[in-house]
Amino acid sequence: MTEIAINDLPSFFQSVADEFTKRKDELCEMDANMGDGDLGLTMSKGFSALPDIIKANSTDDLGMTLVKSGMKMASVVPSTMGTLMSSGVMTGGMALKGKTVLDASSLVLFIRGFADGIQKRGKCKRGDRTILDAMASAADKAEAAISADPQATMKAIIDKAVEGAAEGVEATKEMTPVFGKAAVFAAKAKGVPDQGATAALYMLKGMQDYISK
Amino acid sequence: MKKIINKPEDYTDDMLRGIYTAHGNDVHCTADDLRCYCTSHKKEGKVAIITGGGTGHLPLFLGYVGEGLLDGCGVGGVFQSPSAEQIYNVAKEVEAGAGILFLYGNYTGDIMNFDMASELLAMEGIETKSIVGADDVNSNADYDKRRGVAGIFFMYKCAGAKAAEMGTLDEVLAAAQKAKDNTRTVGFALTPCIIPEVGHSNFTLAENEMAMGMGIHGEPGIWNGPVKTSKELAEESLDTILKDMPLTNGDEVCVLINGLGATSQEELYILSGDVASILKEKGIKVYRTFVGEYATSMEMAGASISICKIADEEMRGQIDKPVHTPFYCQV
Repeated sequence: MTEIAINDLPSFFQSVADEFTKRKDELCEMDANMGDGDLGLTMSKGFSALPDIIKANSTDDLGMTLVKSGMKMASVVPSTMGTLMSSGVMTGGMALKGKTVLDASSLVLFIRGFADGIQKRGKCKRGDRTILDAMASAADKAEAAISADPQATMKAIIDKAVEGAAEGVEATKEMTPVFGKAAVFAAKAKGVPDQGATAALYMLKGMQDYISK
Repeated sequence: MKKIINKPEDYTDDMLRGIYTAHGNDVHCTADDLRCYCTSHKKEGKVAIITGGGTGHLPLFLGYVGEGLLDGCGVGGVFQSPSAEQIYNVAKEVEAGAGILFLYGNYTGDIMNFDMASELLAMEGIETKSIVGADDVNSNADYDKRRGVAGIFFMYKCAGAKAAEMGTLDEVLAAAQKAKDNTRTVGFALTPCIIPEVGHSNFTLAENEMAMGMGIHGEPGIWNGPVKTSKELAEESLDTILKDMPLTNGDEVCVLINGLGATSQEELYILSGDVASILKEKGIKVYRTFVGEYATSMEMAGASISICKIADEEMRGQIDKPVHTPFYCQV
């Protein structure tokens, strides 16, 4: 696959939704140990709604389509994690304003934009044991891959992003939570990966499944 | 739970339908969404001021949409933030060519949604600035982390007046900032309220127990204990406020005595009298006193005391300016 057109966006995100449907119980269980227990539900509900939202809001600008769709997705999942994921879709879209297809280089921009949006909205930084630790690490790896080889394929980019996210998830095991209910359970966090970071990894895996087909 | 409702889940939308029916000449909704609440008296070239927040606090937030005050409001469910999309839709409807000020309470969900709307509006070339009310002294020692409660009224008044005079976006923001810097609030609850969809109160207070510093969503306060007299409450509240915002002999202030929903006006005036006596003893002049329901928590009993120092003559004029909305009138 060399590019994803606006018309393909619904199936692209359907693949993410499918991944979250598969991982729903696992994420809920991780979250129940450290927070609300609804993370899996939020992720699968939000991303399952996204394909139809994109179909209803498609324009000839891929970036703006994602921006508007991200905002509408936030209405479906108004919790903090839902808002952060929706913000990521939205700010990832902002980085692609004016584009008509998602290709290898714009996928890098999308992942970086997604990470930056989460950082800005959540007012978090790397090391705070959040979803950002996985997303920013994914963005770093994706950027390094495109710098090293400007002709890198989408598959090469997403593989690197997933690899980076997995490293980010691994790193959260040694981090102390500072946000939300997880902060209350700080003592239980040691050695356990952060559930938000894990959710970011599964989102990228869903994208990887689609791109690898 | 005893409430005059139909289905608990329809609480917010049924309320909005009632408001649009009763006040159809002054307000309307946009984007086919009842929760996108807009003035019907839009003025071209004026900075639009938009607020938003959860249902359950009337007249806050939507009640201040009207002449001389605000232009629109994103309405959330009970104690919930409006969505970014709702805020965006309100913005598109009331924006009048001079930019938008987002003015709302300091709550995480609201901030995320207003910020998200700002970003989308920026992409479309519509300028927004944001400021949050954070007047509840007991909610946090850190000024920036405080919750916004009744004192936002003074921010609405000053920003609304500046916008009505066709001030620029920066000037309207500065008026709101000045009101914020000079306003402090202390509140206390005597009984809890019930969120309709929950059906019971989130906390209980014993028959003769009260909660000092409780938030307008029932956030825990700084102490729970036997109910104190009006005089004692006035003293403790003013001590807290004046320690946080020192006033000197000769300073002039406005006082806002706000009922949380179930407390009688009689009680509010008893409290108001006690606040006035203490301020007089300290040589602080009261320029205006506002008594009534300005920011409630449904049927919670209790009150809050806000002090707004009059910083200069411009601010005095802004507070004096007549305003008119379906929920609030000042002549």
